Amino acid sequence: MLMIDRIKNKHSGFRLFLMTVFGRSYPRIVGMQREKSWLFFDVFIPFLSVAAYVFVYRAIGAPEDYIGFVVVGGGMTAFWLNILWSMSSQLYWEKEQGNLALYIISPASMMAILLGMALGGLFATLLRATAILVIGSLVFNVSYQLASFWQLLGIFMLSMLALYGLGMMSASIFLLLSREAWHISNLATEPVYLISGMYFPVKNLGFWGASIGSIIPLTLGLDAMRQSVFASGPSLGFLSVNLEITILILLSVIYIASAKFLLAYIEKIAVKEGRLTENRR
Amino acid sequence: MMRKSTILRSFISASWLGWKIESNWTDPFLFATYSIIKPLASATILVIMYSIIADAQFSNPMFAYLYLGNAFYQYVPAVLSGISWTIIEDREHYRTLKYIYIAPLKIPMYLFGRGVAKFLTGSFAVFITVLAGFLFLKVPFAINEVNWGLFFLSLFLGIIMLALLGLLLAGITLLTARHSYFIGDVLASGLFLFTGAIFPLEILPAWLRPIGYALPITYWLELIRRSLVGSVAKAFPTFSSLSNSTLLLILVATSLVSGILGYFVFRRCDYLARERGLIDIATNY
Amino acid sequence: MSNPIAIEANNLGRVYKIRNNRQEKFKELTALINVNLTVQKGELFGLLGPNGAGKTTLIKILTTLLSPSSGFATVAGFDVQKFPEEVRKRINMVSGGETSGYGLLTVRENLWMFAQFYGIESAEANKRIKILTEIVGLSDRLSTKSSDLSTGLRQKMNIVRGFLTDPEVLFLDEPTLGLDVEASRDVREFINRWMHDDENRTLLLTTHYMAEADELCDRVAIINQGKVLACDSPANLKKILQKDAIFHISLNAPYGISVDKFENIPGVKNCVLTQKPDEVFLDLILEDESILPEVISETGRQLLRLNRLEKKEPSLEDVFIKLVGQRIDEGENVND
Repeated sequence: MLMIDRIKNKHSGFRLFLMTVFGRSYPRIVGMQREKSWLFFDVFIPFLSVAAYVFVYRAIGAPEDYIGFVVVGGGMTAFWLNILWSMSSQLYWEKEQGNLALYIISPASMMAILLGMALGGLFATLLRATAILVIGSLVFNVSYQLASFWQLLGIFMLSMLALYGLGMMSASIFLLLSREAWHISNLATEPVYLISGMYFPVKNLGFWGASIGSIIPLTLGLDAMRQSVFASGPSLGFLSVNLEITILILLSVIYIASAKFLLAYIEKIAVKEGRLTENRR
Repeated sequence: MMRKSTILRSFISASWLGWKIESNWTDPFLFATYSIIKPLASATILVIMYSIIADAQFSNPMFAYLYLGNAFYQYVPAVLSGISWTIIEDREHYRTLKYIYIAPLKIPMYLFGRGVAKFLTGSFAVFITVLAGFLFLKVPFAINEVNWGLFFLSLFLGIIMLALLGLLLAGITLLTARHSYFIGDVLASGLFLFTGAIFPLEILPAWLRPIGYALPITYWLELIRRSLVGSVAKAFPTFSSLSNSTLLLILVATSLVSGILGYFVFRRCDYLARERGLIDIATNY
Repeated sequence: MSNPIAIEANNLGRVYKIRNNRQEKFKELTALINVNLTVQKGELFGLLGPNGAGKTTLIKILTTLLSPSSGFATVAGFDVQKFPEEVRKRINMVSGGETSGYGLLTVRENLWMFAQFYGIESAEANKRIKILTEIVGLSDRLSTKSSDLSTGLRQKMNIVRGFLTDPEVLFLDEPTLGLDVEASRDVREFINRWMHDDENRTLLLTTHYMAEADELCDRVAIINQGKVLACDSPANLKKILQKDAIFHISLNAPYGISVDKFENIPGVKNCVLTQKPDEVFLDLILEDESILPEVISETGRQLLRLNRLEKKEPSLEDVFIKLVGQRIDEGENVND
């Protein structure tokens, strides 16, 4: 006769946070192993669509550095899409399938769950970004002039921190939403490519345009990265790299803090209005 | 008689359903999103790219070429996704795909019907993009010079062609998991490169051009441009040796080939999906 | 640990605001009215009620998924609204018919993932997954993708998920919904064993299978239209009907049957009709046996042919009929 005894030790705090991140990223990593059709659609085809913008520049006789701008911008798009589709609107599917309720009643933090989803999708995202950057650079002969590798890495990490903070913040809103979530994610693609200067130096949006665009950490991250790797980067940059780094640090702090606050606050509202388990079809 | 009415019933009831689900016209937010903001944002990206390099010379035929190509290309993701995403939505969101399958409906017609709503939203988007180009960016567009007959004929043929390609994607979707993207949108964004939508095919390396020549979308966009702004189309050498009627013929022929391909791929995938028991799978991960 | 009360609901109420579309005004819908319940630690407590009675709403409140509109509730000694994190460490929930988990993961992976969210070490989790799946008869399917499981097996996986994290208080919402007779029996046996293994475990079960509640529960609350109508042990509840006489009559009604006429006989407390293709059944609760001759005469007046007549020991089902005025599976309330 088997005994079902008590569990002596359950982790909590930071250890639980890490376990949750790992736990939730697992299905995404494994799911990708088991169903490989995404490789074609999530890596190969986005490369083609980035190439289309490269050829537009070629067709109108743009200087070569602009081609590099498109390649770097196209690579970074992957992270934005990861946030929109793997983190924010994924919550909508979790609600649909009844998993959201199980997450909420567990002692795991919602931030950890969201981070797990994003990290699980990050492998595909990194692959996509790398493919676009590496293949794009080779195929289109992009010439880089790297000022400082560590600075570049620092800018990239900072942008990611702020970006995923923003992602978690917006994901909290998705707790309240049902099918509308879909449309909001859709709304946040092309317009965001536009205001963050994905395919052109953001400076061209004018000061106010670029400033509004800077709400999305991708904008300044991208601008700073372009300034650090292209010869003509600094002359086409929006603000000085140091200023951009400072703003990115600020954005990271603000977004991560707001994400924590908003997630807790909106969960309360959702509990009050009974929106965590509804299935509005 | 019964057969005919099944086809019609599948199409009409699915169109009604698609309308009910999307009902973009009753919700200003959704209308603004899909028919105004998204299309204008992607057009603006190109406009800015162009104006940075070409010093905002919008009267250059190159601008009209890429602007109109981009505007009409919006039909491609709209129709492809409208039809293929229905599989995911019915299978994993509404969980009704199995009931649709056992109902006396023609599945391809049902899928076409479900695509109608997105086609209409797409039409609004195209219209608004073209209008904005005409009003604010001086795309050389003279109403009395438009060849309306050619325009509507090409548009009609093009939509049918896209619907059949959508069917092909729907077939593939039957066999794949729900990923975080719309297969139709993604494929459309990939084909963007080959169809001469925003730059003439000559810009592509010679070894990539044949892909463009094999795709009906390429001829369709050229016909649309010719019918709307004949002078612009003439400025580019790609198809200058071909007459309108030759182009139409090529469009019909390539559409026919892709249509037959679409139909058979769908049938094959449909068969495989039943064999593997995938009609009511939920593939969340 | 010394607190003997596992679940307490105090004047709990919940009102939903609903509307069918954006143009409509919100309508109020009352799901729970002044519910008072106390469940002791170690108790297996049942909530009985028809669909839409408010059982699921009550469970949602107790599992921190929904706030009450009035009153308060505590689980494992913590207020569900004020200290949801504390409650969540100590509970788990299984709902019948749910499709949670990830289709592309195997049974083992799905279960392991949920254990992670409770801070359970992988080794410990895997050990328990092995034991629990063996008990419910799922151990040979551990490497099957959950999308390939039958409804019954998927439900068993869910049940294991609930027990896996060793909750102090476990909520089972219709756990045997959609299971066949044998699987339901397995689940009931498992629940019993779970409770016997440790006296500090508490389990709240909702069901609309009367026999299940009768067999499993230490105490049951009968709930209908958001109100608790009675709460006691099954044996005590049946005592409500001790003085009454309960009869089950099988009839042929070639010319139809008028239930009203039976209900109007003085001394008939309750009369429920069940129609089958070739016979009809009347379940009657009478004040005492002396009313029976009058009932028999009424069958004669209605030209009904009497096939069988049984006197029954009161069951939980009869208690339910008496309190609610209908069978549990008869008609559904709208406010689900």
